[in-house]
Amino acid sequence: MTVTLNDTLEVKRDIRHYDFGLPFWQATRQKKLIIQYCKTARKYQHFPRPVSIFTGRRRDIEWREVSGKGTVFSFTIAYRGTPAFQGAEPYAIASVTLDVGVNLIAGVVNCTAEELKVGMKVKPYWHPLANGEHLLMWQPDKDAA
Amino acid sequence: MSLRDNAIVAYAETKVMKKSDRDVWVLAGEILETLLDKTGFDKAEIDGLVMSGLTGTGGASMFWAQSTCDMLGLEVGFCEQVHTGGCSAVGAVARAAAAIDAGLCDVALCLYADTHVREHNGRNDRNYRRDWTEPYGLLGPPGAFGLLQRAYDAKYGVDLRALGKLAVTQRNHALMNDNACEELRVPITIEDYLNSRMIADPIRLLDCVMLADGAAGLIVTSRKRAKEKGLHKCVIPLGYAERTNFLGGENLVDVTRSGHEIAGNRALAAAGLDIRDIRSFHPYDDFLIAIVIQFEAFGFCKPGQGMAFVRDTDLSYKGTLPMNTGGGQISAGQAACSSHNLIEGVRQLMGEAGERQVKDIANALVTGIGWINYGRNWGSSAALALAPNQ
Repeated sequence: MTVTLNDTLEVKRDIRHYDFGLPFWQATRQKKLIIQYCKTARKYQHFPRPVSIFTGRRRDIEWREVSGKGTVFSFTIAYRGTPAFQGAEPYAIASVTLDVGVNLIAGVVNCTAEELKVGMKVKPYWHPLANGEHLLMWQPDKDAA
Repeated sequence: MSLRDNAIVAYAETKVMKKSDRDVWVLAGEILETLLDKTGFDKAEIDGLVMSGLTGTGGASMFWAQSTCDMLGLEVGFCEQVHTGGCSAVGAVARAAAAIDAGLCDVALCLYADTHVREHNGRNDRNYRRDWTEPYGLLGPPGAFGLLQRAYDAKYGVDLRALGKLAVTQRNHALMNDNACEELRVPITIEDYLNSRMIADPIRLLDCVMLADGAAGLIVTSRKRAKEKGLHKCVIPLGYAERTNFLGGENLVDVTRSGHEIAGNRALAAAGLDIRDIRSFHPYDDFLIAIVIQFEAFGFCKPGQGMAFVRDTDLSYKGTLPMNTGGGQISAGQAACSSHNLIEGVRQLMGEAGERQVKDIANALVTGIGWINYGRNWGSSAALALAPNQ
């Protein structure tokens, strides 16, 4: 069964942000991936929160740039899209475990259904948005060992 | 006073409809009327209203429970809306009992009425979805359970025929349930399950619950009041527990584990029951894989053994562990604020389940699953152990 996956790059996206997550989106303008880090727990967390989920304190949070390299933890192939994505099916969405130990869910591009496997190495693909930000997506990291 | 000093003295349920032909408050009125008729309580004696917050129709109103009091002419000392998603049905029973124990009310109506197909006003995007899943087109529950089922498959392995067996067992129960959604009362086979179209690979159509309209309700009061009223056939809540945001203070977690570990242990301990004592199981079913994960979390089997447990266990109404004997939500329709499995548990314990009645039923364990979190499994887990009045 050969399934061609849609990269969904043509889908119009109008993303509304929370103020406490803005640093993430600002960094995407330079195609940088920054993740919240708790200085007390010495652990990363994603998605962005207003406090450290480990200590409950705002002051423990800082943002750190990470490589974005990771491993597919799980994935699903959408055969029925959300309203904005209808007509773009099938497309893949993967939950990826970054090397720093957070799972980050994003769409998958430049990948066939046959290639996509749990355990596959991936790296960021930055999809430009109309407002100058970039949307993080995943693509196979063919150079990874 | 404690949970078990209270009693469910009556239940009511409309037929599940693919789309309601009447307003949600008409359905609520039908439930109220049936419950008053069944119990002999006067309307003025109902002094507590506990509603489910899992309502598409009421989802846009900040005053849903109060305006329902207004519509139904109820004057109450305790007015509550439970916001634990699909745990709200069992959560309402526990909150009603707690309010009665605390002296806030004496006779509580737990009301589960929703017409989310006919009129959906609710929103569910003021959370992580806005930034973190909607930009990728992850389709709500099926997408999230697609990620969950594949993660389960990678860790333990999924047996699709075992999932198909769950689908068929529940469908056979719905065929015996006149209140199940008529459109779903069509026999299916394991092959039908395997061949059903993909929605969010690996989630197939027959893995999924279907939204439907309907209403249900319960009357909860103290055992003392029930006895005074001559209501001898009742169901006793023996133990209840819930857990919201299980491992929420950790970042990377095992997504095959859920808050049912904690809720199950606590509810069973309060009930004085071991999981091996459970004679009927009514697990929340939005997707079939959720049932398998619950078998493991509650300790019916070890982690990773859920598929084998399904293969080896007769889960029909006449089996060793009768499960979702009304069809479950997947084969009866996700209606009435997801109270279907709770109402069925109560009906079974009152001995009123007709041709699907479980023989010698000593108890029922009813569960809840509520909301979906980011890349894990679900936000709330609940368990309610019930037994007939001795």
